[in-house]
Amino acid sequence: MDEQQAREEIQLIKSMLEKTKKAAAESGTLFIVWGVLITLALIGNYVLAYFKKYDWEWLTWVIVAGVGWVYSAIYGIRRERTQPVKTYVQTAARHLYFACGAGFLLVGLFLPWLGAYSYEAISILIAVIMGILFFVMGGIYEWSILKWFGLLWWAGAVGMSFFRDHLSQALFFTLLFIVGYLVPVFILRSKFRKEQASK
Amino acid sequence: MTPDRFEPLDPVIHSQVRLAVLSVLIAVKEADFNYLKKETETTDGNLSTHLAKLEEAGYIRMKKSFRGKKPLTTCSIAEKGKMAFSLYLKALESYFPGGIKPV
Repeated sequence: MDEQQAREEIQLIKSMLEKTKKAAAESGTLFIVWGVLITLALIGNYVLAYFKKYDWEWLTWVIVAGVGWVYSAIYGIRRERTQPVKTYVQTAARHLYFACGAGFLLVGLFLPWLGAYSYEAISILIAVIMGILFFVMGGIYEWSILKWFGLLWWAGAVGMSFFRDHLSQALFFTLLFIVGYLVPVFILRSKFRKEQASK
Repeated sequence: MTPDRFEPLDPVIHSQVRLAVLSVLIAVKEADFNYLKKETETTDGNLSTHLAKLEEAGYIRMKKSFRGKKPLTTCSIAEKGKMAFSLYLKALESYFPGGIKPV
């Protein structure tokens, strides 16, 4: 074997690694589904607030969490069965999604229901978990921009603690959700499409 | 540089298909047969022969199961395979005395 052949072998290794990276890329489908569900819940809450039916806000979140968890479980099982390659990054990401999902259920529904803290703290704690989700995802997928969105969520959590009235806090959370969730999900999706198109 | 200064290449890996298979498996937890066939652009029979050689050398593990009613073969790299792949890369580096330039 000469230097040229060795160079071709290195090229082959690089191209196989690149192909595998694309096959295991994050599609962002679950993020879009959760994004739509949370947007619906926020609209639902706005409608309830308009009619001053604050006592029913929990119901929108229970419905969203129920539908989201069932969809995520079905999606996860189907993906696990059908995907041609399984990577350690996907395993790490799956555990992160599950941990954050469990965290959202605990801090958003179960702990307030037990009376562990006041309802005003929910959005703040949700923002902290969102920050963890995006920051760790940025680390796992080696994509720095997601880490910045993680920092944004943490800054948002601090910012929300300055709002004492429910409506201002809800509006701030909605704004944070648009900038800190919908924008990165849109970027994630377009990155995935670009990667798949270049296959 | 004279050829005798080149590190010897592992004959088990020194084949385009087997090198391609190991390059995929080194980056993943496991990959199924059809994916490997597509990415290595080879045929069922050819890939099976190469996979058997890698398995025989203890470089990969093969698991046979079913996806629905269809048989499914999944492959993953073994510790011995990881070590051999790493040594193979080192041996390849010896072909570039001035270091590997971007290709």
